Amino acid sequence: MADKPSDVVQGTLDMLILKTLALEPMHGYGIAVRLEQMSKGVFRLNAGSLFVAFQRLQRDGLIKSEWKATENSRRAKYYVLTDQGRKRLNSETREWGRQVAAIARILEAS
Amino acid sequence: MSLLRSMAVGLRSLFRKERISQELDEELNGFLEMAAEEKIKQGMSRNEALRSVRLERGSLEVTKEVVRAASWESFVERCWQDLRFAVRLLRKDPGFVAVALLTLALGIGANTAIFSVVQGVVLSPLPYREPDRLVMVWLNNHSLKSITQLSYADFVDWQRSSRSFEKIAAYAWRGFDLSSPGTPEHLPGREISANFFAMLGVELAQGREFSSEEDRNGGAPVVIISNSLWRDRFGRTAMGKSIVLDGVEATIIGVLPPGFRFDTDDADIYTPIGQRRLVEQNDRTVHNVVCVARLKAGVSLGQAEAEMNTVQETIDRLHPDMEEGLGAKLTPVKEQLVGDVRGTLLLLLGAVGVVLLIACANVANLLLVRTAARTREFSIRSALGAGRGRIVWQLLTESVLLSVLGGGLGVVAAKWGLNAAMAAVASTLPRSENVRVNVSVLLFAFGISIAVGILFGLAPALKSSRVDLQTSLKEGARGSTTGHPRAQSSLMVIQIALTVVLLAGAGLLFRTIQQLWKADLGFDAHNIITFQVGLSPSATGNGACVRTAFQQMIERIRQIPGVQSADLSTLVPMSHQINALPFWVDSHRPASVAEAPRTLAFITGPDFQRVMGIPLVRGRFLSEQDTINAPLVAVIDTELARTYFPDTDPIGHTISFAQVSGYRIIGVVGHVQHGELGFSSPFTDAQSYVSIYQIMDRWMTTIDTWTWVAVRTPLEASTILPEIRKAVYGAASDQPIYNVHTIKQIVSESMSSQRFPMIMLGTFAGLALLLASIGIYGVISYSVSQRVHEIGIRMALGADKRDVFRMVVGQGLALALAGLAIGVVGALILTRLLSSFSLLLYGVGASDPLTFTTVSVMLSLVAALACYIPARRAMRVDPIVALRYE
Repeated sequence: MADKPSDVVQGTLDMLILKTLALEPMHGYGIAVRLEQMSKGVFRLNAGSLFVAFQRLQRDGLIKSEWKATENSRRAKYYVLTDQGRKRLNSETREWGRQVAAIARILEAS
Repeated sequence: MSLLRSMAVGLRSLFRKERISQELDEELNGFLEMAAEEKIKQGMSRNEALRSVRLERGSLEVTKEVVRAASWESFVERCWQDLRFAVRLLRKDPGFVAVALLTLALGIGANTAIFSVVQGVVLSPLPYREPDRLVMVWLNNHSLKSITQLSYADFVDWQRSSRSFEKIAAYAWRGFDLSSPGTPEHLPGREISANFFAMLGVELAQGREFSSEEDRNGGAPVVIISNSLWRDRFGRTAMGKSIVLDGVEATIIGVLPPGFRFDTDDADIYTPIGQRRLVEQNDRTVHNVVCVARLKAGVSLGQAEAEMNTVQETIDRLHPDMEEGLGAKLTPVKEQLVGDVRGTLLLLLGAVGVVLLIACANVANLLLVRTAARTREFSIRSALGAGRGRIVWQLLTESVLLSVLGGGLGVVAAKWGLNAAMAAVASTLPRSENVRVNVSVLLFAFGISIAVGILFGLAPALKSSRVDLQTSLKEGARGSTTGHPRAQSSLMVIQIALTVVLLAGAGLLFRTIQQLWKADLGFDAHNIITFQVGLSPSATGNGACVRTAFQQMIERIRQIPGVQSADLSTLVPMSHQINALPFWVDSHRPASVAEAPRTLAFITGPDFQRVMGIPLVRGRFLSEQDTINAPLVAVIDTELARTYFPDTDPIGHTISFAQVSGYRIIGVVGHVQHGELGFSSPFTDAQSYVSIYQIMDRWMTTIDTWTWVAVRTPLEASTILPEIRKAVYGAASDQPIYNVHTIKQIVSESMSSQRFPMIMLGTFAGLALLLASIGIYGVISYSVSQRVHEIGIRMALGADKRDVFRMVVGQGLALALAGLAIGVVGALILTRLLSSFSLLLYGVGASDPLTFTTVSVMLSLVAALACYIPARRAMRVDPIVALRYE
């Protein structure tokens, strides 16, 4: 069971996408691959949930997009983190840290 | 912010659907291509790679659908799609749409109409500033267990002593004979105190209201007029002009805003109450003043009432012989103005709600039939992947579309019907001028349309979305469902039960009115015309003048050919006027006049008993010899005699009134019904008669404003009236004749509190019966069409046509009887509740067998008729044709 790729924890996909984009603008596939690599294959992302998240983040003004050429000279839509997105990433990261610490304390206590 | 942005982006993508979709296509394609390239690099063939990517990441089409469905605009789009589909479908079936829309329009229209009445009369606030703080203050007579109006002297005391009110004002009814400018006319009016309009928070259109200097004895003669009088008689310039009222010239100092009205009656003339006649100003037994006040902010009704009771106790102690035993009672103005009709209107709202339920049941039945025929369509759609929710949604879109269209028609019908209804009941319904189709009524209509659409759409939608693909697709070729239409049948039973309840309610009210007409009035109500005459100001100078003027006028009227008899009276039996005087017999004067019983005092001419046809029981009635110089005499009715002279002959004893004592009783006449039919009160039970020619001078000069002439004649009012006018004007040309009614009209008006709900309830019951019969017809004819095959077989096997007919009618009647039984039980419970808290029923029991039998027979007949047509069709089924369908 442990080595089978699993879905991203509910509600954290947005944060992970923002984190990925914090380094540099990236296209959809790039984001997917980066997330899978960084999670060492724990997460497997299907196109549906990924693109729904892009649409949502874009509408909330946290990311922007522009069409650019890839390194393989293919046209792709690149996503860029906005200032608002950066702020959101910071606050969510902090919040996540607080929650994880709290959950860990509870699990250790029992 | 982000919501706005999302809206903006959503709207943009709605209108640039093509581009957005292309972009998404390209992006997704790129995504999948890149994923595939990765795999190809690892050594897969292109096809293998693409397949593997599809499996891992999802296919292009599915992903596109998922992404699109995640946005709200796709929801809007889907609704729009459903709506267009629904319109297309409905257009294909105009017959069904017509019946459904008509049914819904009737149901929603009736509800909208009644709601607008409830809204205008009961719910909407009174058109005054902070109307919730307005209260009416009454005297509370503990010994009569009743609230009464107060005397002007009481009001002055209250005004001086009360602390709970921001402003306190008073008014009294008074008619005025206007003699200049223009033609003489009698106008309804009020005497009001200074501050009356300020207390209400009403701004005058022109001028000002009375000052406290004017609102007192000897103040300058001033008058405020209604907007309509200002417009019609004065041609819009009235300020400062003079007007002659009851022979007194006064100056117009104010004009009211258009449509101003405080109670149910109109008033054109307002004069300062402080300038009223001295007899009415000082006499503490004349209770004809209504007190209205505005509570101070933060003072509750209970606190104010407690304070007023203390104030009144002080007055009681100051005038122990007059007022001992009186307290104060406060009621909110709105409750006072609309209290009586509130229950009736809510009852009607309930009844009309039932009509709507029946209409819903009808449309639900029609829809069930339709969706049954569409089973194949739903099977195919769900086989192609439509979810159950999607199908239910589609069907609900259809039903809500229907109900909203029906509601639109209903609002039009309501507006039209309301105009007709309001014209009919305007005089008996308080605040009827306030009833109109406004925004809240439209919202209500829209709201119930949606609710109704969901209500009648849900059952068929849920039922048809539960299709079994296997059987329905297999059976599809025949395009029909199997089994008995159980849902239809139960809806039909409910419809009939509800109809029975409405019919029973309307029937009981109808019987009440019937009983009221049959009730013994105690006099002969046929062939009597009554009217009032404003005596010429020149004739009201002193008591002797008035007596002569009255005598001459009556003589002239008696001369008219066709007049059998005529005489004067200050009260007309069955009218709403009450002249209840405190009285006692012989020397049993109570310690306080307030605690004395009341008698309804008719001040009449000697011929009045003969004119009205009131039976004389003992002794004699008043005669022409009972003049101002003769000993005072009185006639009492059988009720007064029975209560106060149970064992003795009243003749020879005396009766005394608060104002004048020592009338010798000379006769006993029958009791007459007064006020509303079928009800009694401590103010109208004991009746007495004294001669108008024995009234003292100080009262005589004011008596003409409340004196009536009663004329017995077999002729029509319209025929005799010009003759009467000629006779009256012959005496003095400035004497207006007004308030002309026949006694029949007065009697009929006294039933308005029953007649209005009866007409409405009867209309609703008729509507319900119509809808229910359509419902029965629909169910039975559908069932026949479903069973053509079966009927064919029966006939082929030798069943008689008559057997088939009996079978179909029997099936319908069985359902009708089931509904009837449930309905009768429901109606028995409801009508009992009804009669326990309202005074609507008179002379019939809540479970009146005649009403219930009639309703049952009527409903069975209608049900049989509704089954007859489909049964005839069933009888004509040709077995060969029916079986060839296979």
